[in-house]
This record gives sequence, C-alpha cells and structure tokens, in this order.
Amino acid sequence: MNNQILHIFRNNPLGRETLFQSIYFSKQVNVSPVVYIPKSTKFLMYFDNDVVQIDLDDSYLTSPDTALEHVTKVLEQAGVEPIFLDPKHYTASTLPDIHTNFNYMCCPRTISDLSSKIGFGYIGPRVRRIVKSAQFPVLITSPVFKEWKSIAVLFGGSVNAVKALKLGFRISRISGMSLDVFTQKEKKSLESYQQVIKDRNLKEEMDLYVNRWHFFENGTLEENLYDVPHDALVVVGAYGHGLVKHFLFGSKMEKIQATITNNLLIVGPNYTATI
Amino acid sequence: MRIFQSWRYPANWSIFRLDDRLLLILTAIIVGVCSGLASVVLNRLLMAMFNWFHPLRHYWWLFVLPAIGAALSSLFLEKIVKEGAGHGVPEVIYSVSRYGGLLRFRSSFSRLISSALTIGSGGSAGPEAPVVISGAAIGSNIAKYFSLNDRQRVTLVGCGAAGAISSIFNAPIAGMVFAIEVIIGEWKSVNIVPIAIASVMGTEVSRILQGNQIPFSHRLFHINHMDILACVGLAVLTAAASILLTRLLRSMDKIAKKVPAPLWIRASIGGCAVGLIGLFLPEVLGKGYHVVQTTIEGAFSQGLAIVGIATLAKIVATALTLGWGGSGGIFAPCLVIGSLAGLTYHHGLVLLWPSASWVNEGCFALLGMAGLISGMLQAPLTGIFLIVEITGGYEVILPLIIVSAITTSLCHYIEPAAYYMKDLVNYGHLLRPGTDARVLSDLNVSELIEKDCIAVSQNMLLRDFIDIVKKSHRNYFPVEDEETDHFMGIIHLDDIRQYLFNPVMYDTVFLGQIMNTKVEVVHPQDDLADVIQRMDANRLFSMPVLVNNKFIGLISKGTLLDQYRKELMVQTSQSI
Repeated sequence: MNNQILHIFRNNPLGRETLFQSIYFSKQVNVSPVVYIPKSTKFLMYFDNDVVQIDLDDSYLTSPDTALEHVTKVLEQAGVEPIFLDPKHYTASTLPDIHTNFNYMCCPRTISDLSSKIGFGYIGPRVRRIVKSAQFPVLITSPVFKEWKSIAVLFGGSVNAVKALKLGFRISRISGMSLDVFTQKEKKSLESYQQVIKDRNLKEEMDLYVNRWHFFENGTLEENLYDVPHDALVVVGAYGHGLVKHFLFGSKMEKIQATITNNLLIVGPNYTATI
Repeated sequence: MRIFQSWRYPANWSIFRLDDRLLLILTAIIVGVCSGLASVVLNRLLMAMFNWFHPLRHYWWLFVLPAIGAALSSLFLEKIVKEGAGHGVPEVIYSVSRYGGLLRFRSSFSRLISSALTIGSGGSAGPEAPVVISGAAIGSNIAKYFSLNDRQRVTLVGCGAAGAISSIFNAPIAGMVFAIEVIIGEWKSVNIVPIAIASVMGTEVSRILQGNQIPFSHRLFHINHMDILACVGLAVLTAAASILLTRLLRSMDKIAKKVPAPLWIRASIGGCAVGLIGLFLPEVLGKGYHVVQTTIEGAFSQGLAIVGIATLAKIVATALTLGWGGSGGIFAPCLVIGSLAGLTYHHGLVLLWPSASWVNEGCFALLGMAGLISGMLQAPLTGIFLIVEITGGYEVILPLIIVSAITTSLCHYIEPAAYYMKDLVNYGHLLRPGTDARVLSDLNVSELIEKDCIAVSQNMLLRDFIDIVKKSHRNYFPVEDEETDHFMGIIHLDDIRQYLFNPVMYDTVFLGQIMNTKVEVVHPQDDLADVIQRMDANRLFSMPVLVNNKFIGLISKGTLLDQYRKELMVQTSQSI
C-alpha cells in the first residue's frame, strides 16, 4: 500500500466528517491517508508548472492542542496507522510548502472559501487550480460523511473524460464495486462516444467493469443527474479552467458539484490514468 | 473557439517552436519590458507620494506617517494578498534553488504596492528588492504561460530580476550581473544571453518613460596612491557597517516577533520609531537618494560627529522599518549608509592627517556605497558595476574593486552567508546548480526504489530459502510476517554465509532465527541527503523502504550513484 491520499485536517465536526470520508476512500481504494494539520492559514503546493497558494479559513486552526489527538483517535478507531505530514520546507516563515507526490488529495469544498458557502456548492479558484495542475485526482467530499457503494463515471468523450473512465475502472477493480457510466448527449451522436471507447482500446475494460452505460438524450445535465445513485462515488474529468474562461463558458464541474451531494473524484489534465 | 484555443496555448505557436534559444530570447524581451514597466510604476508611485507628503514634512505630528504607511503595507500583504512581509529576494532565490523558479502571480504586484506604502510614507527602505521579486514573478508566470521547462523558467526569473534592476537604476550591466551573481548563481551562456537582452529591454523602457539620466551624477575625481591605500581602511569601516546592519536587522526581527501584537501593529511601532528619528535627522527617511546625491557632490556640510550619527541612525531606521514588518529592500539604504560611511571616513582622515591631500569626499562616498552593497550582498561584481553605472564614474574603478573585494572578504569571514542568503543557508535551502545538495534535492527516495526483491517468510526453512536464492540476483531478502505482511527484518547473504555452506542447517534453521532485525529503514518521504548520511554512518550499501511497516523495495547506493550522475549531467549541461 504505497499509494497515499493527502488530507488537510480541520479540527471541528465538519473536518471530522471530511476525515471520515478520506478514511473510507483510503480503505476502498487501498491507499494510506497522510494527514496535514495546518499551523498557519496558508500553505503552498508546488506542482510541475504552477505554484498554488491555499488560503484556509481560520476554522482550520481551531484548538491546535487537540487536533493531533483527534486525528489519531479517529484514525486508530478506523484501524488505520496515523501518518502525519510535517512540512520540511518553508517559502517564508509562515508559508510552508506541502509536497505534491501523492496519489490523491482530499479537498473539502470549503478549502479556500468561507464555510458559509458550503451550501451554495462553490468550488472556488484554488481547487480549480489544484485540479488543473495536479498529477493526482482530487476527492471533493460531501459535507457529511456518506459511504459510497458504487462508482459513477460521468463520461463526455473528452480526453479528461477518458482519464476519468480509466480511473473509474481502476477503483472498480481495487474496490470490487460496480461501475456505471453516464453520458449526457450533446452535439455528438451516440456512436461517436462509442467510437472514442473503441479508439482508446477500452472496449474490453468497458465489458469487464461497466455495469451499465446510461445515455441521456433529453433534458439538461442538472435534470439527468438525478439518475446518478446518491451513494455513488462520482468520477469526473475536468480541465480546471481559469477564472476568465470559467466566467465566459461556465464550468461543468461546478454545475455537477452544485447539483449532487455525492463524493466527487475529479481528474485534471495532468493526471496520467492507469487501470 | 479555435482562435481562443490557440491563444490559450501559446507554447504551441510555430514561431516559438522553431528553436529553444530563440524562444527564450523572445520571452526574455517580453519579461524585460514588463519588469521594466513594473520598476517605472513603482518609481512613479514613490515620486507621487513624495510630492503629496513633502509639503507636510515640517509638521511635528507627521512622525506618525511612516507608522501609518508600514501598518497599511503589512495589512495589505497580510490580509489582502496574503503574503508574508519582507523584501522577497530570498523567496526568489529559494524558488530558483528548489522549485525551478516557480513564483506566485500575486508576487508580481504585491510588493510594489506594499513597498510604495512603506517607503512613500517615509520608511527607511529601498524599492529595488520589491521590483526584483515583481520582475522575477513576471518572468516565472510568463514562463508558465509559455509552458517552459524548469531551466528556461529559472532563466526568465533571472531576466525579470535583471530587467527590474536595470530599469530602476538605469544600469543594464549591474542588472545583468545581479541576476546572475545573486539570483541564479550560475554563469552560463544559455543564461547570460537572455538576461542581457532583458536588461537592455528594462533599461530602454526606463529611458523611454523616464529619460536617460544617471541617478547620481558626480565630478571628476583625481585619485592618487594614498587614496587607494586609504581604501583599505574604508573597506574595514564598510564591512563593520554591513555586519552591524545585518545583525541589527535580525535582532529587530527577533524582538518584533516576541511582541504579542498583530503584524500591522508591530510594523506601525517600527514606523513610528523611524518617524521619531526622522524628526531630528530627516536624512533617514524614505529611500534617501537625495542624501546620496548630496554626499557625492560634496555638499553634505555636516561635521564628523553628525555624519557618523546619521550613518548609525540610518542603520537603526532601516532595521526598525524592515525588522518590524515594513516592506522594502536594502539596496537604497545600503547606498545611503555607504555614502555616509564614506563621508565619515573622509572626515576622519582629514581630522587625522589634515595636511595630506585626499581626493574629494564624494569619491569616498561612492566607494562606501560599493562597500556596503558588496558587504551586504557578498556579491562584489554587483557592487562594482552598480556604482560605476549609477554614477558614470569609471575612473574610480580601481579603488572600487579594492573596497568591494576587501569588504566582501571581511563580511564573508564574519558572516559566512550574505544577508539575502542567511536563512536559506541555515535551513539548507541554498541549492546552487551542480552542487551535491542541489543534485540530491532533485532526486527522491520514491524514484530510487528497486522493487525486484523477493520477500520471504520468517517461518521458511533455510533449504527453501536456498531455492529462492538460486532464482534471485539480489543479496538482500526482506522477511515479512505471513499474516500481516509486516516487515520483520532482512537477510543479507553475506551475514548468513556460514549457514549456506553447512547442509546440516538446511532443515533445522528457520529464517526468523537468522534474519537481521536491527535494520535501518527508509520511508518514501525521507530526505535523500539524510538517507545517504545514515548509509555512510552505518556503512550500509542498501536499506529497505517501508510504508505502513510494509516492505516496498530497497534503496541502494549503486542505483543512487547512477541517478546522481544522470542528474548532475543534466544540471551542468549547456543545453536548455
């Protein structure tokens, strides 16, 4: 179990729910949770071609004396060995660098935003930049701990959607959970989606892992998302567009996460998918 | 949409894909222009603030102005752009050393605004370091936009720093030398050409928008042998001033951090103290270029005691401004302190040997400036070229070299790391290309793990183990618990040779009995330098790598050396 998921711990009940999510995910996907207990409200993540400053809200620093104890207790109760991330390098005295050699990162919806925005389903520019730059998928959890029993891949035929599909296969293989694929038909024909699968030599895996491929020919994406099981881990590909493009064209990722309360696993353009 | 896509990915434009060096030169032009503009913007901001506040200077209550400026500056950095205080040059060097020059976009403007607030309100600091981080961040983000690799990005960071310094001082060679000597630390033609071009562009932008003026004009100096000899004493004085300034800056920083108050209050306390000093000695306020000009012209009419006190006051004011949380750099204060120190030295010489014919006091002011810059930065070439260019005085080159060289050597002897580098050196973050630390920092344990080891069980008989040894080409065999897969120990063939050649033992010895349980282990997140240190200390050639107490592979010196050599070749090659 060499794979690791980075978890940023918030020492309050909301943070505990998120930690439960990370633990559940790590058990299903067979990865070790690595917990970072922030000591300042900001830190830097250096990726290959970008550096992202994460600005946490003050709730992440609540009762620093009890944070370690709380995390240890939750992890030990779950039967997971506690591994903590202690930053070794600092860009400035109050600005630690968090390395990015992880396989997943748990990114609560409120990592860079005020807690009041939870209900509004707003991901925010920081998380979008992490998604855009990271070589790992980002797990965006539901606000309250919720076990997921199946996997749902939202497949739109793009390069990142193919990566998401491969990740879906991988998680299905490791966890043994059933996998459904959902496609909202846009301007392309149904055959063109199947052609993408054929071109990428994924036909065999589709037959092996996918329980059912749902095509939505009518209705909007928001309407059709109702059919996604409420207890599924939703895997989706995203580009992590910048602010300008987000305002111009909107973001499907924002739309999806604002509509459903499932745990989301978001695959960015720099993720190298393996099955 | 296609047009939009092509704009979004400029790295794919055919013009930029012709040749990597051409690409770097083209981007260096853009970086040079942008960083030059950033310098001009800060200069204009400071001029505007000077014009606003200058008519009010005679009011006694205006001593609170530096406090307000410093408080606003730290509030802006802390609350709005969420960056730390300080001038930012160590941050640039750190990023170049460790992360291929990656800098945040916000750094391209944050220090401009914060330093304008600090310096414009009278804080004793300089605008040069803030423009360096702005220029460097512009270079870094342009490199990101064009999807350049780490080495190209580092070069563009250097281009940004060079363009900024060139523009603010109208000194292209000093900008170029500063970028290479201080920021990049690597003299290679692949760096020098783009940085030189960026310097030219930065200077040109400044000349077009602000005119081609030498910042500090001077008269001709006739230097004789006695003056050159006297430079040795001046170098000692400037070295002492450099050390005093360095230590005072650090002490103030430590004292300020002990004050249980928010940063903006601490910054305002420092600013207030500077304002109070400024009531009696207005020379200490702001960047102080007028003081430099006056001393070079020989028009600073005060006597030895006052000049000496002004020198010390400027040192204290700078330490109060920057150490307590104000934003700005040390270039301008160094020039002021250096010129005042030179003047003090001249007055002292005249007092001691009134009959000797010394060169004009302005010359000693120039030499003092070079001494302070060289001493603080421990970058003698930057000091020499900067003073030559900003004063247009080539005839002082010989004493300049002497003062710079001696001051740098003395400062290096007393304070082995320059002011910018001190923290980086202390924390092991100063990683210049091609050095052992840099090569090791670019490798990590995970990429060196050898996974072709065969794990064995502690309950396995020696006979079965020998069958495994026949199939394996390794000397190390991790022993795992059968139920939990936890790592129990390791078997090294050299350690069990006596059993291997004794057939009587084959069916009587279990591996659990002969394995080595006192094993030094490694984790993937461990620092490679520490791992090697442990290998050397324990005379080990291989160490097992564990995750969650489970064996995942071995790390060996052989593989490490192989990767080390490859990385060294990459870092020292001339290619980009």
